[in-house]
Amino acid sequence: MTALPALSMGPAANAFRKEVRAWLAKHWTAEKQAAHLRKPFKDRGYDNEFSKLMGRDGWIGVGWPKQFGGQGRSASEQIAFVTEVANSGAPAHAHNTSESIVAQALFLHGSKEQQDEWLPFIRSGACFFALGYSEPEAGSDLAALRTRAVRDGGDWIVNGQKLWSTGGDKADYMWLAVRTDPEAKKHAGISVLMVDLRSPGVTIRPSMALYGKTFSAQFYDDVRVPAKNMVGAVNTGWKVITDALAAERVMIGATRMAHLERAFDHLTEYLKTAVIGGRALRNDPVIRDRVGALAADLEVARQFQVRNAQLVEQGKVPIHEAAMGKVFTSELQERLGQAALDILGSGGLLSEDSASAPLGEMEQLLRHSIMGMIGGGTNEIQRNVIAQRGLELPR
Amino acid sequence: MSASQSHKAEGISDVERGLLRDSVREFLSKRWPSEHAVEQSGKADAMAMLWRDLAGQGLTTLGAYPAEAGLRETLLVFEELGRASCPAPLLGAVGANLALAGQQSNAMRAMLEDLHQGKAMVALALGVFDGDAAAGQVDCRGDALSGKVSFVEAAETATHFVVLTGEPAGVTVVTSGAPGMQIEVTPGLAVPPFSELTFDNTPATRLDLLPNALADIAWVARLACAGRALGAAERAFELAVDNAKIRKQFGQLIGQFQAVQHKLANCLISLDGARLALDAAAAARDNSNPEWHVFAASALAFAGPALRTVSIETHRALGAIGYAEEHEAPRHFRRVHADLVRFGGALGARAALADFMLGPAA
Repeated sequence: MTALPALSMGPAANAFRKEVRAWLAKHWTAEKQAAHLRKPFKDRGYDNEFSKLMGRDGWIGVGWPKQFGGQGRSASEQIAFVTEVANSGAPAHAHNTSESIVAQALFLHGSKEQQDEWLPFIRSGACFFALGYSEPEAGSDLAALRTRAVRDGGDWIVNGQKLWSTGGDKADYMWLAVRTDPEAKKHAGISVLMVDLRSPGVTIRPSMALYGKTFSAQFYDDVRVPAKNMVGAVNTGWKVITDALAAERVMIGATRMAHLERAFDHLTEYLKTAVIGGRALRNDPVIRDRVGALAADLEVARQFQVRNAQLVEQGKVPIHEAAMGKVFTSELQERLGQAALDILGSGGLLSEDSASAPLGEMEQLLRHSIMGMIGGGTNEIQRNVIAQRGLELPR
Repeated sequence: MSASQSHKAEGISDVERGLLRDSVREFLSKRWPSEHAVEQSGKADAMAMLWRDLAGQGLTTLGAYPAEAGLRETLLVFEELGRASCPAPLLGAVGANLALAGQQSNAMRAMLEDLHQGKAMVALALGVFDGDAAAGQVDCRGDALSGKVSFVEAAETATHFVVLTGEPAGVTVVTSGAPGMQIEVTPGLAVPPFSELTFDNTPATRLDLLPNALADIAWVARLACAGRALGAAERAFELAVDNAKIRKQFGQLIGQFQAVQHKLANCLISLDGARLALDAAAAARDNSNPEWHVFAASALAFAGPALRTVSIETHRALGAIGYAEEHEAPRHFRRVHADLVRFGGALGARAALADFMLGPAA
């Protein structure tokens, strides 16, 4: 039961949703869920074995074109899929970057050999990538990156530092943006390498992020990467990176949306029966007003996701539309987290590790919201995109 | 077809809706050009002529034949009225069509026929179904109406009044100039102004309707007005964006300043969010989704604060240029606020959503 009526995304997506739900009911069992919840919070969402199980049964590459071994599902069906997976709480982070970003780039820019080698590997659920984009001097201005790759025979030799790679300490491979021509204009001298993180010269330093999971800095000291691991032609990396972003944003937005709906459901379910100090929270007019406002915002966030999916299905690339969805949904997460703390009061500050926490997930939801507003290009950069691409305001 | 029946409008494609939008926009740009919109709003004869022409376009039948035009098409037309600052009394027409279409009473059928030909103009009073507790109520005893209702639009030019009653639940039709009826204009932010209607044993034609059918009409009225507010907010926003592309200060276009860019980007998010939510709500009703009121309340709860903020931000981006009443922006400001505060506004919509999410408060 969800608080908002389910979105109807057409008969095909609705039927597919049932199929996914049935598979999850069979394979994401109560025992597995209980075992997953016993893991430290920082490790939840990642389960290599479950990723392999999904791979075995064809649930990785659901939206990939059939020619690459995928199911060729529509964007609406993909949204139904990621929503069901997110609603179930099943762990799908481990293979997510490989499936959603690396594969998308390989479709467009990978050589035949790369596609033959990497796509089945990704589809098997055993290939775990993280993104190596940001650097100390290259955050929002990603094209200012300095990590250097120099050709040496059949290899590239990489030197530099990357920051803030989500899941970097759990991954086997890094999707690494490097500078291959320091003389060219900054967008023109970038290339993309697939780097085996077990290579000599790679140092990974995880640090705990505010949301309770790690992200990593990596140091590359004379790391040798085979030239066959460069995706796209040398110095065309900016296009490789940005081309994969549109589809990625739609799916990541849908996943985040599903998590928010789930959290909102938990909040409203709690409020229906909660009594604090002899006062039934559901009768409080201020709380009711906040809940009403959040429900409306959730519905709007869903509609942004649906529009993005429809644009992709029409063969269009949502640029400023995807940015709008990202801004709205991530800031809604912040509002939902803040509202939950206001409603739950001091109890809302308690995490799930506190036995007396009324809803331990809410303070984490708020901590996580910061990541949504920063990751994938800050919301301020997204607003630049909306203004300059959507409204055609002058630069 | 009454409001309690289904609302299918499945045969209309997005392309056809686009054509309808283009056609209404072109029609209004010729018949109600923005440079004369304010001046014409106060002229009864200008409105009467426009109304006949709108009827000629088939727009006064909106709500009567759902298979031909559903709520999505209705909202689209209201949006265009908002863009054009055109106060044509379409709300009354839609209310009358929803309540009375298919009824057998000769008087009501005659009124609808006149409405569809552009001879009759209807003002709609929702009374106890309004959503605003201050909107008043009227009671019907036999064939006589008594009571007071406020915030009624287009009353001065109306030939008929469609008034919803709670006890007993039904709809009544009153002819303009009927004995015991008084109209008092109540000036304020809304332009043209609302009116207060007082009935004292006023003769009326009456029809029983179930309360849920009457509530349904009220939901449609709220969404229609939100659609009109969307059109007004969007038009004013376009003026602000255009201005940001040509207006120079400090030696550069103001649209180059990030403070202005982000302000306008936020407005676009709000406008698109409101449009998507309103369209989803209208589609839910057109597809007979039994939970369409949840989508409607969501759209209203979002659009209220979002579009009013767009309106405010539009003025900040336009600066003093947009502050003169002779500029288009002020009339849109008035329209946006008047339409979104009516019928219980965002607070009422949020309360309805809380009822859906948590159950009614004890």
